[in-house]
Amino acid sequence: MIEHVPVLLVVAPIVGGALPLLVGLLTDRAGWSVATLTLGVHAALAAWLVATVAGGQPVVYEVGGFAAPYGIELVVDGLSAAVVGLVSVVSLGVLAYARRAGPHTNSFYTLYLLLVAGLSGMSITGDVFNLYVFLEITGLAAYALVASGDQDAAAVAALRYLIIGTFGASLYLLGVGYLLVATGTLNMADLATKIPQVAGGYTSTLILAAFGLMTAGLAVKVALYPVHTWQPDAYANSPDSVSTLISALVSTVAAYSLARIVFSVFTVDFFAAVPLAQDALFAVAAISVVVGSALAVSQRDVRRMLAYSSVSQFGLVIAGFAVASSTAVVGAIIHLVGHAVMKGGLFATAGIIERKTGARTIEEYAGLTDRAPVAAGAFAVLAFSMVGVPPAVGFVGKWYIVLGAVEVGAWALVAVLLLSTVLTLAYFARLVESMYFTDAPTAAEAEAVAEPEAAGAAIPDGGDAAVSPGMVAVAVAAAVLAVALGLAFPGVEQALENSLPFLP
Amino acid sequence: MSALTMVPPAVVLLSVAVAVAVLPRRIGHALGILATGATAAWAVVVPAGTYLTDLQFLGFKTALVHVDEFSRLMAIIFGLIGAVAVLYSYASEADSRQTAFALSYVATSVGAVTAGDWLTLLFFWELMAVTSTLLVWHYGGRAVRAGFRYAVFHGIGGSLLMGAIVWHYTITGTFLFDGSGIAAGTGALAGLPQVMAAIGIGVNVGFVGLHAWLPDTYPRPHIAASVFLCVFTTKTGVYGMYRAFPDGNVWIAYMGGAMAVFGVFYALLQNDMRRLLSYHIQSQVGYMIAGVGIGSALAQAGAFAHVFNHILYKSLLFMTAGVVIYRTGEEDLKKLGGLAREMPITATAFTVAALSIAGFPFFNGFVSKGIVISASHYTFDYAFKLADYTGLEIMLLVGGVGTFASFIKFGYYAFFHGTHDGEVEDANRGQSVAMIVVAVLCVVYGVFDSALFAILPFDVTDGAVVDHVYKTYTIAHLVEGVALALAGLVLFVATKKPLGKLGRVRDVDSAYNPLTFYATRGLVRGVTELYAAVDRLAVRVARGVTYAVTSPTAVVDELRRRVTGGGVDTEDRPAHPLRASIGTSILVLALFATLGIVILSL
Repeated sequence: MIEHVPVLLVVAPIVGGALPLLVGLLTDRAGWSVATLTLGVHAALAAWLVATVAGGQPVVYEVGGFAAPYGIELVVDGLSAAVVGLVSVVSLGVLAYARRAGPHTNSFYTLYLLLVAGLSGMSITGDVFNLYVFLEITGLAAYALVASGDQDAAAVAALRYLIIGTFGASLYLLGVGYLLVATGTLNMADLATKIPQVAGGYTSTLILAAFGLMTAGLAVKVALYPVHTWQPDAYANSPDSVSTLISALVSTVAAYSLARIVFSVFTVDFFAAVPLAQDALFAVAAISVVVGSALAVSQRDVRRMLAYSSVSQFGLVIAGFAVASSTAVVGAIIHLVGHAVMKGGLFATAGIIERKTGARTIEEYAGLTDRAPVAAGAFAVLAFSMVGVPPAVGFVGKWYIVLGAVEVGAWALVAVLLLSTVLTLAYFARLVESMYFTDAPTAAEAEAVAEPEAAGAAIPDGGDAAVSPGMVAVAVAAAVLAVALGLAFPGVEQALENSLPFLP
Repeated sequence: MSALTMVPPAVVLLSVAVAVAVLPRRIGHALGILATGATAAWAVVVPAGTYLTDLQFLGFKTALVHVDEFSRLMAIIFGLIGAVAVLYSYASEADSRQTAFALSYVATSVGAVTAGDWLTLLFFWELMAVTSTLLVWHYGGRAVRAGFRYAVFHGIGGSLLMGAIVWHYTITGTFLFDGSGIAAGTGALAGLPQVMAAIGIGVNVGFVGLHAWLPDTYPRPHIAASVFLCVFTTKTGVYGMYRAFPDGNVWIAYMGGAMAVFGVFYALLQNDMRRLLSYHIQSQVGYMIAGVGIGSALAQAGAFAHVFNHILYKSLLFMTAGVVIYRTGEEDLKKLGGLAREMPITATAFTVAALSIAGFPFFNGFVSKGIVISASHYTFDYAFKLADYTGLEIMLLVGGVGTFASFIKFGYYAFFHGTHDGEVEDANRGQSVAMIVVAVLCVVYGVFDSALFAILPFDVTDGAVVDHVYKTYTIAHLVEGVALALAGLVLFVATKKPLGKLGRVRDVDSAYNPLTFYATRGLVRGVTELYAAVDRLAVRVARGVTYAVTSPTAVVDELRRRVTGGGVDTEDRPAHPLRASIGTSILVLALFATLGIVILSL
């Protein structure tokens, strides 16, 4: 039984996802319990996997007993274990938030579990086509989740997400097709050995086109500039629980997949043979960092600002991957995981603040510390962590990325990183200043702002716009985790580096 | 490991700061005085050495606490003046939260000067910038915008220093202090890390051109907050400069001289009391930077002696100015006068402090300024000499004349000129105690100069340690002190009329504040406008494509009409089912992928 753990990570949430619909025939409030139970099991499985991988050896599983390269293979190394652990912890945590924040329908929890299944699958698969399948499962669940908001804008955002996301996934699939034509295999490890043997080697047009299509497709899912256009609307218009979940996980796992494709399929030798590919990936990431930050600065709506901030931060992660030295990649992974915790926490907190005070824009955040002290505190901690104030995790990730960049002499990245730190400071300092050092609007003004929001935020099935202790706990836990991870990561840095055999 | 070195003092002070925020005001402030006083006591008794080296931070060896003669002196005076300033805060009606911010600022400064490696130093350095910004912001109003400019300045400075430190690490492979400062590097970029470090630290100490935050920020917050601010940031900068350049650097020495002259020149032009004092910080820190830059044992001892003394008299000056503002509500020298009769204690304290900062014999400034000037005379031999004076020495002497002149101006307008109509109370009891303690110390260290020499890192009276033995009270030195005072008086009388007509004088910030503002706005606008322009273009192109995709029949009709030239039935043209922006996105995506493939395949 124990050897089936990898596949159970995917199977458990899929099976669990079917249950709310069945149980829903009897009662319409069973979804949350089923999801909690399922994700509890998922967390236990993930914990076992992380512990095993931390021992040093990757875990390999052949689905259905068909041997690779013909069968589908699941491979868990240090990197995927970290991402699976993140998926498990965050999705379980967000449940505590969703219990009060809703949506309360059974179908919501079905989609929720389906999303977790897709994300887990993406994290552990060792097969490029299988990755496409999970990419689509993740995508479809995410589109539907975004659409579950009851505003009109949510439907439009979901439609936009659907069309652009599908187009991106199709590009990826096209790339996979090219690889299959070139090498006759879909298994990642097998591809890594066969790609250099193709006529023309790494520089064969088929391989180059495949690389271009696959990275372009995944860049859509990561939401790098300029193909990020689905993302701000999707984050800003979906229900609080959903924006928390997808901002924390969906782009994160996509960025992981991009790293996986780059390092495990094309390998660093490809970068050595085609420096242009490395430079292009780096350039897109660097532009994403700068433009994403600049766009974030120009936002007034806090959620949209956070969304554009993601564009910028993922640029930083991908830039770290593009440097492809072990220090920079470790930094990128830390920033990937850390960003998930910080950004999820920020969206959760923004949701709490909106429910409590109706504040959505930077101006409305004025004097928030008096109206929602705990939420404001959590927000400030997470914001400073995102800026990269030590000892929080945002600092650690950036530190390793900059160290890696200095080691290989990538001065452009150092400059971009410093610039992004200043810009990140610009948009978060504005908010923190507004929250802590500006007086709140007078009661009459606050009333006028809060009124329409409260009406709009009412939850359909009898739920109110109140904030539960569980929701606050999620926000506070994210803030604590952001600092704790910063202190903990240096300890596991060596272990992480050792478990990434594909690096030079 | 003894109990003294188990916990870093910064950690203790930080936890006290948190406690002060929540405790009742009286108990909190008492605890604050106790904790800062204990820090000074700790610094006196703790044995020299490096402690708490077991902690690995980010996989690098660190040393959380390091005590040598330099950090000991810094920690003693930081703790001492911290205690006085907390007392002054209590007496000046500062609320508990402000004092908590101030204590966290003290804590991070102490952490920076007792750090044993660059990483820990940088960590506290950055936190110091954050805590001091919070302290400024706390006052609200006009302090908020100044606080912003302050934060941006220090953000840039801190980033430069971080760059230098990372570079230093890549060269030497360690963050620990090895006594040789920031490494120079090799190859085409040799020296660049040192330049970055000098400029990064230069922001903190107020290099000419990088100093505008100083007179901009310090006059604006609460009067007690100014007392804290005038002490820690710049002096930690001097300490950092020494760590980065333990062997000195001629450019830094001349920059120190330039600061001494420039600061005092601008101070002479000011009418706002705290703004005048802020320019004097730059000028006085110039002496310290000159000392660090000269790099001889005598000069470094002088620089740190001046740090010690300067903290005493400058905090005293800010306290007296604070009391005047506290009692009269007036910041402008032109609207004050005749206060000596009303506020004898404050006037006396001011006189002591003014004579100290100006370097009048038997006050502490005389001793330490003398050491630096003596070092610039005997142990600095770069180029240009006039008669028997080195160029740097002349700059420092000119600075001294200006200092006299501007403090005669301050004292004249605030305390002695004319009469004050109406009753003004003198400082309250707490403020008086704080001021008198510091005033007495200013005199004690001036008269008994050996007490000061005892805590200096180098014994300036021992010919085996320094190149030139320093003696405070020689005829020549006394004459020099009195001559500077007379020259200052002449300068004041000569410039009194013209200066009286002068309005507010522009400094460099009047150029680069708008510059930064418009540059930032330009960047954001540029990006936004560029995006909008690209978007418009893409929309226009996409509209055609979308039309073709969504209404193929219409396009076919159109084509058929062109080919055949005849009329076609065009009744049932479908409406647009999609919004253009989605099409735009897809187009961008398609272009993105195409471009990627084309670039790769070229």
